[in-house]
Amino acid sequence: MWNPHRIRFISDGTMRLTILVPLALAAVAPLAAARAQQPRTIAIDARLAADARLHVGDVVVLAAQPGEAGDTVRIAAITRPNADPSEIAHQEYRVRVHLDQLQSLTAYGDRVHRFAVQSRGGATTGSAVAAIDAAAFGFLAHRSRDVAVETSATFAVVSRFHRAIGVITVVASAIFLLCILLLKVDERRKDVAALRLSGISRATVVKSIVIEASMVALFGTLFGAALGWLATAIVNAHYQGVYRTPLRFALITPRTITFALVLSVVLGVAAGALAALRLARAHPLALLGRR
Amino acid sequence: MSEPLLRLEHVERRYHMGGEDVRAVRGVSLSIDAGEHLAIVGPSGCGKSTLLNLLGAIDRPDAGRVLLDGRDVSALSDREATELRLRRIGFVFQRFHLLAALSARENVELPMSEAGLGKRERAERARELLSYVGLAGRERHRPPQLSGGEQQRVAIARALANRPALVLADEPTGELDARTGAEVAALFQRLNDDGTTLVIVTHDEELAAAAKRVVHMRDGLVVRDERGVAPAAAARGR
Repeated sequence: MWNPHRIRFISDGTMRLTILVPLALAAVAPLAAARAQQPRTIAIDARLAADARLHVGDVVVLAAQPGEAGDTVRIAAITRPNADPSEIAHQEYRVRVHLDQLQSLTAYGDRVHRFAVQSRGGATTGSAVAAIDAAAFGFLAHRSRDVAVETSATFAVVSRFHRAIGVITVVASAIFLLCILLLKVDERRKDVAALRLSGISRATVVKSIVIEASMVALFGTLFGAALGWLATAIVNAHYQGVYRTPLRFALITPRTITFALVLSVVLGVAAGALAALRLARAHPLALLGRR
Repeated sequence: MSEPLLRLEHVERRYHMGGEDVRAVRGVSLSIDAGEHLAIVGPSGCGKSTLLNLLGAIDRPDAGRVLLDGRDVSALSDREATELRLRRIGFVFQRFHLLAALSARENVELPMSEAGLGKRERAERARELLSYVGLAGRERHRPPQLSGGEQQRVAIARALANRPALVLADEPTGELDARTGAEVAALFQRLNDDGTTLVIVTHDEELAAAAKRVVHMRDGLVVRDERGVAPAAAARGR
């Protein structure tokens, strides 16, 4: 017998209960008798399936405590957890059972703390909320959208922090690139002097340095983006494994890459042009240190 | 008598250093004919490199004139002087100054590209020149993959890219060991034998010894101009 941790029950779509109770799931497959009675079906989440080594089609007994008599059911589906940051720290399992099974397991009868009602959307939601609020003292209905906003407020702040950190990182990297470019171009004073002495025009020198700077910025950004993508994949794979969630912990969006690319190329071209103009204006002999 | 390729008339060049005027070149007059092989020798600070810069339209004299093919190059604008250096003068430097990111062939092609030569013509001539300086098969090597002597050969090939009337070299063996220096000197000799006018500033006695004319400088003045028979011995004697 497998002795589970806390399990969160979710009904078949009409009601959601957050009452947490210990539950015994006794794997009894193959169970010939149960199969003859065509047991009802339940759905379990992937974490429970992995920990209890259960598969679709397995027949189990639902009971409030290990060893107690219960309802024999067949696992019809294994559900994936939602990508919900608010559930990261929750370690309980989720099992979707029928409402009467839930009432029997919890021994709460028809009492619930809260339940969900699916409306047809639009105006009906507003009128349903108003009707429920007016039905009795203590009834309080919320739109799921409002609940989502309220519960995710912390994460919205965290997300803004992350975005700010991302912007600062990209800007700082671009400025670092700019400084490196300026230094690198300055290191080539003697090469530029040799080019100018060999009859290469100022315009050609400036053009070649700007093109090179643009290429460095472009390929540097693409390399950085590839490195970031790889790091993101590693971070996500690690934490998705640790928390067993499809939630993405690190994210590189096309917008992020576009922003980094545009900023780096613009700064790269500017740095290259500045450095090149400074060098091209100087007399070749001065660049060689002979003046 | 035909017009010399290069003529200096009472050329003066002064620098303002440490609050004082230094006369680096003092009223030098010199004629260099096409096909000459001339070495400028003298102690450090005597004005050799300054004179070379004036000959190559890199620097302008404070007084006097520098005439290349009868044209006063000291009156040229920066753009005109750059164009002149591109098409009529080749430079070889002590430290090669090749672009490390480019291959030997690309380094040689660079002045030709600037002069507007077509891609195929450039590639063909660069191959010929690298073969001429003994680097056939090394066209794709980048400067860091070449020895000092090989890099200087590439630099010489680059100097010859646009078929210049004059090649100026400033201490071209200064960074090379004796054996490699001798090889480069032999290459210069062959270059001159094939008709290129050479002016070399050097401290290297062997290199000066190979020249047909040796100009000795001291304190900004030409103190002796030796031509013809055995200038090598004279250069060694100083």
